[in-house]
Amino acid sequence: MDNNQKGLEQIEGSLGVAKAVALARPGVVCAYPISPQTHIVENVGKFVKGGALKNCEFLNVESEFSAMSVAIGSSAGGARTYTATASQGLLYMVEGIYNASGLGLPIVMTVASRAIGAPINIWNDHSDSLSQRDSGWLQLFCESNQDAVDTHIMAFKIAETVGLPVMVCMDGFVLTHAFERLQLPSQEQVDAFLPEYQPREFLDPKEPISMGAMVDPDAFTEVRFLQQRKMVKALDVIEKVTKEYREITGSKSGGLLDCYNCDGADLKLIILGSTVGTAKDAIDELQAQGNKVGIISLKSFRPFPYEALRAAIGDTKNVVVVERAFSFGARGIIAPEVERACKGMGTHISTALCGLGGRAIYGTTIKDVVAYAQAGKFQEEFTWFDINSAVLNRYLKDSEGITLPDGPLAESQLCESVRKVLA
Amino acid sequence: MMTKPFATTLDPATSLANHTGSWRTLRPVNVFKIPPCNKQCPAGENIQQWLYYAAEGDYERAWRILTENNPFPACMGRVCYHTCETKCNRGFLDESVGINSVERFLGDYALDHKLSFQKPTRETGKKVLVIGAGPAGLSAAYHLRRFGHTVHIVEQGEEPGGMMRYGIPVYRLPRSILDAEIDRIKDMGVTIECGRKVDDIIAEKQNGKYDAVVLGVGAGLSANVNIPQGDANHILTALDVLKEIETKGDIQIARRVAVYGGGNTAVDVARSLRRIGAEPIIVYRRNRDKMPASEEEMDDAIKEGIQVKWLSTIAGATKDSLKIEKMKLDETGYPQPTGEFEELPADAVILAAGQNCDLEPVKKIEGIKFEKDSVNVDSSSLMTDVPGIFAAGDMIKGDRTVTAAIGMGKHAARGVNAYLKGAKYERAAKHDEAKFEDMHPWYYSDAPKTVRPMLELARRTSTFDEVQHGLTEENAVFEAQRCLSCGNCMECDNCYGVCPDSAINKLGPGKGYEFNYDYCKGCGVCAQECPCGHIKMVPEKI
Repeated sequence: MDNNQKGLEQIEGSLGVAKAVALARPGVVCAYPISPQTHIVENVGKFVKGGALKNCEFLNVESEFSAMSVAIGSSAGGARTYTATASQGLLYMVEGIYNASGLGLPIVMTVASRAIGAPINIWNDHSDSLSQRDSGWLQLFCESNQDAVDTHIMAFKIAETVGLPVMVCMDGFVLTHAFERLQLPSQEQVDAFLPEYQPREFLDPKEPISMGAMVDPDAFTEVRFLQQRKMVKALDVIEKVTKEYREITGSKSGGLLDCYNCDGADLKLIILGSTVGTAKDAIDELQAQGNKVGIISLKSFRPFPYEALRAAIGDTKNVVVVERAFSFGARGIIAPEVERACKGMGTHISTALCGLGGRAIYGTTIKDVVAYAQAGKFQEEFTWFDINSAVLNRYLKDSEGITLPDGPLAESQLCESVRKVLA
Repeated sequence: MMTKPFATTLDPATSLANHTGSWRTLRPVNVFKIPPCNKQCPAGENIQQWLYYAAEGDYERAWRILTENNPFPACMGRVCYHTCETKCNRGFLDESVGINSVERFLGDYALDHKLSFQKPTRETGKKVLVIGAGPAGLSAAYHLRRFGHTVHIVEQGEEPGGMMRYGIPVYRLPRSILDAEIDRIKDMGVTIECGRKVDDIIAEKQNGKYDAVVLGVGAGLSANVNIPQGDANHILTALDVLKEIETKGDIQIARRVAVYGGGNTAVDVARSLRRIGAEPIIVYRRNRDKMPASEEEMDDAIKEGIQVKWLSTIAGATKDSLKIEKMKLDETGYPQPTGEFEELPADAVILAAGQNCDLEPVKKIEGIKFEKDSVNVDSSSLMTDVPGIFAAGDMIKGDRTVTAAIGMGKHAARGVNAYLKGAKYERAAKHDEAKFEDMHPWYYSDAPKTVRPMLELARRTSTFDEVQHGLTEENAVFEAQRCLSCGNCMECDNCYGVCPDSAINKLGPGKGYEFNYDYCKGCGVCAQECPCGHIKMVPEKI
């Protein structure tokens, strides 16, 4: 067995992440189960109980709110702390989420991304994780389970270096429940990369401090300015830590973003998460047909890598952002950030909204997006790309007397259908 | 030394500068409500407090608190009809606390450990005469002695105890217990002179140079009922029968005996007769619902095989048979004759239709007034219309129970004490009652009442052995711990634990808590989570 094959395992993504977390030697793990996160913490729990993960306290809590509260407490107490959640669970802990970042506690949390109800839906999209974009946490997206394994280990170092908590966002079910070949680093490698946790400040009865007490208008803006500085600093830290990790393990994971097939591409797709893998296969097929399309896998959504993204897009004028969530009453969530990155470059940026609530994004979906873009049909900023008008019309025809055309629906078609009814 | 992050980490206690208490519109305050048991107790026992110490295992302290009001816990733990338990808020939850059984445990504990009452630290030099060594007189004497007065009791019976000795059967109150508790009062320096009836109370007072007198004349005369008799049927009174059984241990009586009456005395007589081999049948003019006798005592009587003829009066008696008239209750619940008669075979009738006090000597006192058959007294001090002469027990208006007599004796003693200082005793106003609705019983776990073991039924009809046994120490503590501590702090730490502002300070064992109004925002969580209902939110004056 050569060195490259050492640590290679055919396992479920959740187990891989649990192993990665265990390799990082957390002092406290606390979580409340919610699909599709459950297998991760179940496995960490087993490692603690079975003795494989030593010097770690696994706490059962009665809710996500408690999970985050315990995480805040243990992190403030000086322990390397991990938790995981998804969907409604993430929303339930929101108050704590903001407190964790406000206090600068380097907690690492997996978000096994899943749609938010109502109506209840257990499948993947990005509405949960993206809802926390203003929470002050770093948000790192994983395109594969290998990426998730490596990103979790890196997340601890990034969090502890920057002094902010990190959400590692991996697509629920698509990644968490998929079995694939994973290369896990050895404990020695991880120990060399991630030294024993040395908290920069923690609650110590011998040297008491008061954390998170009231800050009045005289200093609040300044506190926020300093928080934002940390976010900016994080851009640099993410790159440095990625480089270091790659050197030790030979991994290709991490980074602010990752470009695939981008050189000389006249169309670039910007994608977050597991869709990147599907897209790469589809793009490879198109490449064989002489069609050159690039993919930018956006890894770090917070902090948003404006400069890196501007450079990655370069002089490509046609950019489509494949988004798995949107902002009600507005449009895409990611595309406006891309606009900011490309300001003044004359880039045409549009959103192809796909894959809500677990609607599968196939290779054909990606190819359709490409064809649509190349035909110049993304005239507008925002398009409901994989919508099924037949399903809609069954309802709208009876209730409002209108029908919508087949195929992708641009935002203006939605607006027009409303006006038609009003008139 | 680490560099602290700007503003998010501060020195300890920096937020104390922010007096968040100023935001408050409601303020928590402690309320001291009287638990329903305390309120109900005719002897005015501080039940909730002594249960608290009993639950802590500090039996002596519990006993000392109990005996501040009642010097007879071992007797009371046996014969008190414990109406406190019917008021107990725990009854809304599962079953009332077995207060009476814990009282008995404490009483027996004190006797076993030979605990004695403290002698007064200071003698006042005042002399008080008490007439009658029944529960009222003994209670008055005990409390007067605690005040430091010199007390002498004159009792017409051969032994002290009054109706506790001559009215309550031995199977309910063993005399060794009664004697021991009376001796403890004598050990304080109270003197008791038995076997002498005081006919001239004023002369007795003057000759003995007494500063005050407490009259404690019990209802020692059975009320007479006129039953037309043909041939001489044996007609006796309940008190005579009980007294004879008490003094001689037996009585010569026929086998088939009708006990006429529905009160506790009727039940006591019937159960006593059952023990000496007779076959008593209670004849009562109303039904079980209307019966004044204690429900528990009646249940025991029925278990012991005593029959009852309900809705019946005795219209006449011949040598071996009674003429019974059937009654029916009118809409007011009063029995009315029906004109229907039947025969009941019986060789004797025992009248248990009420008791009267021998008030002849009292009537001789100039200026003393009566209301019906009761001596008129001030409702607070229990002083009669004659200054310096007080009355308590059966001879004044009120319940005729041992417990009521003990309570009256206490108040008479306080009345005398104030009088001797030239003042008038007024009873303190009682706090509001702690109601179950004011409490938050979620915190109390289910815990059914501990049942006291009883003498086997088969043995009860042949011996005068005590029927009701006591609780073991373990059970008594458990029972005491069942107390909900209605309206009074039991130091459970709930308020201290739930306060989101850490604005409740703990003052140490027995001292409770205090609110820190500088930081209390008035959220009311403490009041909501206090199981006892000891905290109330009151509006701030803004």
